[in-house]
Amino acid sequence: MLYAIFISVGFLAACGGFLAAVLVVAEKKILNYGPCNLDINAGERELTVDGGSPLLSALAENSIFIPSACGGRGSCAYCKLKVLEGAGFVGPVEEPHLTTEELETGVRLSCQVKIRNDLKIEIPKELFAVKHFRAKLIEKEMLTYDITGLRIELIEPQTIDFVAGQYIQLESEEYKGREAVMRAYSISSVPSDNRNIELMIRKVPEGICTTWVFDYLQKGKELYFSGPYGEFHLSETDAPIIFIAGGSGMAPIWSIIQKMVEEGIQRNSVYFFGALTQKDLFYADELNKIADSSEWFKFVPALSREPEDSDWQGERGLITDVVKRYFPDTSAYEGYLCGSPGMIDACVSVLTEGGMPEEKIYYDKFA
Amino acid sequence: MKRSPAEEELIQSLGPSKFSAQGFLGHDGRPIDEIISADQRKLDRIGVSINTLVDGLKAVYRQARQAYGAEIQITPGVFTTFYESRGRVPSPFKTNGVFEKGEALVREKESGQHIIITQLGIALIERHHFFQGLGSRYRIDPEVAVRLLGLASFKEDSP
Repeated sequence: MLYAIFISVGFLAACGGFLAAVLVVAEKKILNYGPCNLDINAGERELTVDGGSPLLSALAENSIFIPSACGGRGSCAYCKLKVLEGAGFVGPVEEPHLTTEELETGVRLSCQVKIRNDLKIEIPKELFAVKHFRAKLIEKEMLTYDITGLRIELIEPQTIDFVAGQYIQLESEEYKGREAVMRAYSISSVPSDNRNIELMIRKVPEGICTTWVFDYLQKGKELYFSGPYGEFHLSETDAPIIFIAGGSGMAPIWSIIQKMVEEGIQRNSVYFFGALTQKDLFYADELNKIADSSEWFKFVPALSREPEDSDWQGERGLITDVVKRYFPDTSAYEGYLCGSPGMIDACVSVLTEGGMPEEKIYYDKFA
Repeated sequence: MKRSPAEEELIQSLGPSKFSAQGFLGHDGRPIDEIISADQRKLDRIGVSINTLVDGLKAVYRQARQAYGAEIQITPGVFTTFYESRGRVPSPFKTNGVFEKGEALVREKESGQHIIITQLGIALIERHHFFQGLGSRYRIDPEVAVRLLGLASFKEDSP
């Protein structure tokens, strides 16, 4: 009886092993797409990759880092690229993330495009500069009760080449059962300080990455990030500037202002910093110092919930109302905005109502 | 009863992920359809429709978002504050797209009762009648929501 059971179990195990072997061989033979050619930007760059892998990871293996926050699961839609030829059909995971126009022009989620043949793709040029960095936290300072400033020293590579206004994707570590994630933060330091980067990070209630930054990331700890990303930067015109940002939205604006000081770019500029109360202000001394020593720069913090009987002598009210008071006519200016979608939308309205053409408004919307 | 592969995939999507530390089910062990039915029964008892509740949630979210982090009163004793956050969060129902991050905390000061409204949370209610499981940080209890938002006066006429 026992012998019969052993024989049956052994036979079933052998069948399972045989089927598994057949599947492995079949995958290697039938699903082996062989080497595939990636033509990037009409011959600007060409790669030969092994077929079968997602486009996102094939590019990363060749040191081309496309933004992604979901680890290639088709959830975040950060990894969009134009695939002009060879992509295959659009699957149900991709479709909800693509507009009709995007579908018509060949935009795809690169994590969902499996390389089965040669592809022709378009990659924004700035992504070629993106690298993966190993670095170390050397300073951590509370700027306000809910915003921390980090200073990070680069280890490998040792330097970073970025444009003031760009951002990086910081990689958190696993903790308390929470997965490692990647989150975008604007660089707040000046590009000439290329052996370090600085970030301003606001605590999000129950946020996976910000909880790691605030509660677990300590000075001396090594960390990883990729970058730089983003198209938000100072234009090369001479037009006067209206900057609007509050909270951690200051980061790219502060990088741009420091660059202007360093390079002697003296375009007339006003920076409107919106906050609720005095305890939400930071870097006011540094910004006031620039304003006091420059004729071209003015710093205007505006508080919307400061108690009426406080000692605050600066502007009061919503930032949009303050901007309107200072600039009823915005037609000659360029606007640089950074913050939440709600704040951006309201500021764009105010600036366009004042006559600023919408194409002269540049923003890094937190979305 | 054994779950289908589609149900298993949905349960996994509703669990903790790279975008949601706690997921959408909290500590609720009930099947999803039971969670949905129980919350629908609550709404039926109160006499407020899903559409009315969704409209109310959207209105409060919009008001809070436009206040840029300032606390505003929405009904007597009930206040809301908006917390912004960079990035987007995908729906656990894969075909529903991605949503703006950011949340409106709605709180009754005296009792401390609160709900947290997000764009994704509203979409889950509107499209799937899913209010999220017990223990989920973003669960919107129908009875609490109706009371805090002052929607009890919008009782639907019975057919």
